Amino acid sequence: MRPFPFENYLTEGFFDEMFGKGHPHKPLKHYQEVYNRLGRLESGEILEKRSQADSSFLEHGVTFTVYGDEEGTEKIFPFDLIPRIIPHSEWTVIDQGLRQRMLALNLFLHDIYQDAKILSDGIIPTEVIQSSSNFRKEMVGFDIPKDIFIQVCGSDLIRDDSGTYFVLEDNARCPSGASYLLENREIMKKTFPQTFQGMSVRSVEEYPELLLKTLENLSPRQSQKPVCVVLTPGVYNSAYFEHTFLARQMGIEIVEGRDLIAIDEFVYMRTTHGLVQVDVIYRRVDDDFLDPLFFNKDSMLGVPGLMNAYLRGNVALANGIGTGVADDKVTYAYVPEMIKYYLDQEPILSNVPTFLCWREKDRKYVLENLKSLVIKPANESGGYGMMVGSSSSEKERQEFKDRISSNPRDYIAQPIISLSRHPTFCEDGIEGRHVDLRPFILYGKDIEIVPGGLTRVALKKNSLIVNSSQGGGSKDTWVLKN
Amino acid sequence: MRLYIHHKTHYRYPSPVKDSFNELRLHPLSNQWQKCESCFVNVFPTSRLHKYLDLNGNLVHHFEIPQDHSKLIVESRSTISTHKRVDFESFPYGVSMKSLREMEGKADCRPYLQSSSYVEINPEAWRMAVDVQGESKDVFQTAYLIMEFIYERFEYSKATTSVHSHANEILSTRKGVCQDFAHAALALCRCLGIPARYVSGYFYDHTRNQSMRGSEASHAWIEVLVNGHGWFGLDPTNNRVVDETYVILGTGRDYKDVAPITGTYYGRLPESMEITVTVKPLQ
Amino acid sequence: MLSRVADNLYWMSRYVERAESLARLVEVRRDTRLETGFGIQSKKFWSSSLSALYAEEFFQADGRTEADEFILFAENWPNSIRNCIYFARENARMVRDQLSDEIWVELNNTYLFFQSGDAKKTFKQSPSHFSQRIIRFSLVFQGLVDATVHHDEGWRFISLGKYLERADQTSRILDTLSLIGSEPSRTDLIGALRTCSALSAYRKRFRGELSLRNVAEFLLFSQDFPRSMRFAIRRIDSYLHEISGVPSGNFSNEAERLIGSTLATVNFTDIATLMDKGLHQSIDELQTKLIEVGQRIFETYVLLPFEIESVSQKMAEQTQAQQQ
Repeated sequence: MRPFPFENYLTEGFFDEMFGKGHPHKPLKHYQEVYNRLGRLESGEILEKRSQADSSFLEHGVTFTVYGDEEGTEKIFPFDLIPRIIPHSEWTVIDQGLRQRMLALNLFLHDIYQDAKILSDGIIPTEVIQSSSNFRKEMVGFDIPKDIFIQVCGSDLIRDDSGTYFVLEDNARCPSGASYLLENREIMKKTFPQTFQGMSVRSVEEYPELLLKTLENLSPRQSQKPVCVVLTPGVYNSAYFEHTFLARQMGIEIVEGRDLIAIDEFVYMRTTHGLVQVDVIYRRVDDDFLDPLFFNKDSMLGVPGLMNAYLRGNVALANGIGTGVADDKVTYAYVPEMIKYYLDQEPILSNVPTFLCWREKDRKYVLENLKSLVIKPANESGGYGMMVGSSSSEKERQEFKDRISSNPRDYIAQPIISLSRHPTFCEDGIEGRHVDLRPFILYGKDIEIVPGGLTRVALKKNSLIVNSSQGGGSKDTWVLKN
Repeated sequence: MRLYIHHKTHYRYPSPVKDSFNELRLHPLSNQWQKCESCFVNVFPTSRLHKYLDLNGNLVHHFEIPQDHSKLIVESRSTISTHKRVDFESFPYGVSMKSLREMEGKADCRPYLQSSSYVEINPEAWRMAVDVQGESKDVFQTAYLIMEFIYERFEYSKATTSVHSHANEILSTRKGVCQDFAHAALALCRCLGIPARYVSGYFYDHTRNQSMRGSEASHAWIEVLVNGHGWFGLDPTNNRVVDETYVILGTGRDYKDVAPITGTYYGRLPESMEITVTVKPLQ
Repeated sequence: MLSRVADNLYWMSRYVERAESLARLVEVRRDTRLETGFGIQSKKFWSSSLSALYAEEFFQADGRTEADEFILFAENWPNSIRNCIYFARENARMVRDQLSDEIWVELNNTYLFFQSGDAKKTFKQSPSHFSQRIIRFSLVFQGLVDATVHHDEGWRFISLGKYLERADQTSRILDTLSLIGSEPSRTDLIGALRTCSALSAYRKRFRGELSLRNVAEFLLFSQDFPRSMRFAIRRIDSYLHEISGVPSGNFSNEAERLIGSTLATVNFTDIATLMDKGLHQSIDELQTKLIEVGQRIFETYVLLPFEIESVSQKMAEQTQAQQQ
């Protein structure tokens, strides 16, 4: 007898995290235990657990804000109770691959802001970098603290229909989601204690501690305990919950721009007992809004004079300024070359094949094959402004055609990858939904990756977009010990 | 066991230097005892890395930095899985010292039986070696006695020697660090005709109070060839037969063949060099 | 602690206290009307309350006919209970890391109660249940504040907010009595006492002798009734000194000096002198002083010295607006 919840489960030709390419009733070995336990649940029990988890999120204010939504803002990031499981051997490869990438990206940033050898050696065309809207001329020649630009990176991994992992993008600016990684685990332990027990899942709870160490490593004043703060754009930011969550877990202050003041090239925070010098700012504010004197003149979020203090080396920022050029989607296409160039190695994790619209040959191909490609703007994140060719209308395609032709540098195209699916609780029982994985990579004294990451799931049937702002949910991610 | 190793060397120069050419031997080998799962080597200022295999079979990265720079950082990060390699029941006893004659003629043994840059076969060393050998007629037993002798009679002392100290000096002062102990052991082994080579690498100090010596930096020990049984590692600094807590970076005749970083540049000597090595076990 | 955080905690607490006060006021006034007021036109009946709350213009602009509904739900009047809860939560949201989960959940649930429309439903079914829910929320909230967070600097700012607001509200309720014009009726006096939750405490003290003079004396000068002006002012004085670490009696900033002098006023003035001077006049002076204390706290702990001059003027206006 097949267990009840999977009675009507279909893999529909996709790679399924639980069943692989195989028969939809024979789970992969590392899923067997969870499959069995889910099978023993009554349907009423499942519903109850779900609403238990949902209300727990809402009550605790674990919410995010959707931009451009009149309704007013806060939604919970839907949580799916079936965990995603990664066996030890797979994780080892991911872990190594991410380390390699993190190193290469940092070496790349350091290089292009110093001697730009990778450009003079002709590995990456100079115009790619200089035309990137995230290249910061202010940073050229700046001796960045500890030579590290990206302290916190969230790389998005996907799997295709054969189960191969690909890196879809590297979020090198202010990647968010780490709080969900931690909260999901908490909720999972509460709602499904039996399932969790005895699975020998590697713990993720050291993340805040590692993050704090990463920040402290940057401090320009090593003589004393560094004063680190989290800089948030404020309560209306979609990731505000995460900012407070991390600040609280690390035991440091969460500040807004108006809490900080730059005086004589030092940065201080305003406290009830006067000004306190700040050493390291974990900023969750984009470059553009950091300092109204330097960047966006209208920014209310920033701290006037912050850049000067930074360039003087009196305060450190994580991530560094100008990291955006590394998560530009055109630069992304060159990451394998970077790995070969700086580390003399083959990339461990592959890139998704990428067509760069500014290359004439690529552009021609893209314009002729819009329907079978995903078109993405080079400098946006969060799934905004992209088009999935297969589900686009004629009008949309025409619109993108025009946009690409008028501004080819700003667009890239990738083949539509049929993301792997994962059993997920839906309206009509358990169904397969597309997932990705965002692990978080920290670079302090050394590179640290907490085992697992945030598994995001596209809750809409057949949707490939997993971003929280576009109707995605999340899952707890278990990396097994062996 | 699986080990993660982070090795960082940071040079600071008093004034900018240029035209720096360097070779790195920081990539652990894969052999029957250990598998290098991954190794990332990188340098600051960032430069393009190239690599080749040297005559001793070690993987060498090389790079150049033509422009001015006032610091140089070299880092390597490796993940290694090691296999159990010693069984105290089956040490390769029973190979007689007489059998060593046969090995003298073999081409692959020759380099490890002769003098090299830091190791010299000379009468003083030979006399000391014969004293240590005593009544022993067994190759492995003799090598073991040499290791014990150095461990017990030599003083572990960080301040007395430099990276360029010669084995002769060590044998007379009987003071030094792991590199010196290894050189001394090589000299004594080679004097008696035991093929012996220098090993650079790391080890994980698994003792509860971190009582082993030399774990704070890269480590060095020796390997002796026991006819018919292959190479065996002996660590005179800690008086241990090398086991799965050790990771081999490279082997050679002596330090000169496997120095982790060598190079030349125009400019003044570094004002400081900071080395940090972290070895931690992975689950 | 961060100045902004202190400021947020302070305002969060003020808004919760304010919501509670308003809920009491509405509850009592509606009761009073049930007993006596059916002859009077609704507008006229509520007008003294609305004017003590400085809400008349908003009420007219709002278009609602029932004043109680206006006080509860008005969007355009910043001090409606709905808005108080909203602002309290906004302030709390900015400093969530400083609050216990219990506090946040309590406040957030009340906010969601308003957002979901359940609030209006409850109000339609039973206005009195509704008021009770708000009052109970505030009491639970304050209880949680005392029971679930460190009694550190942040907690003192929360307490400061609570007592400043309470002193302000008590003074307003007394002021409604002085605004009536003629000698207030028995019902008015009982109403005022009930609005301050003071009826039984008052009876214990004055054995049923009900007069404006006694009610004023009680609400102004009672030593140990937690909603009297004197009680609140004494608390404010002691929290301010605990925050600065300067012993009581001395002062290290304007807020401390002012509250010290206000405390002296309520300690050493007797009710006769006060009534001679005129109740409204005296209350007005006390209110002005308390508003200034609030402003000085802001200048001392939130603003930097060089910002005060330039911002002070603007802030003074804002503070006024927020308090009214």
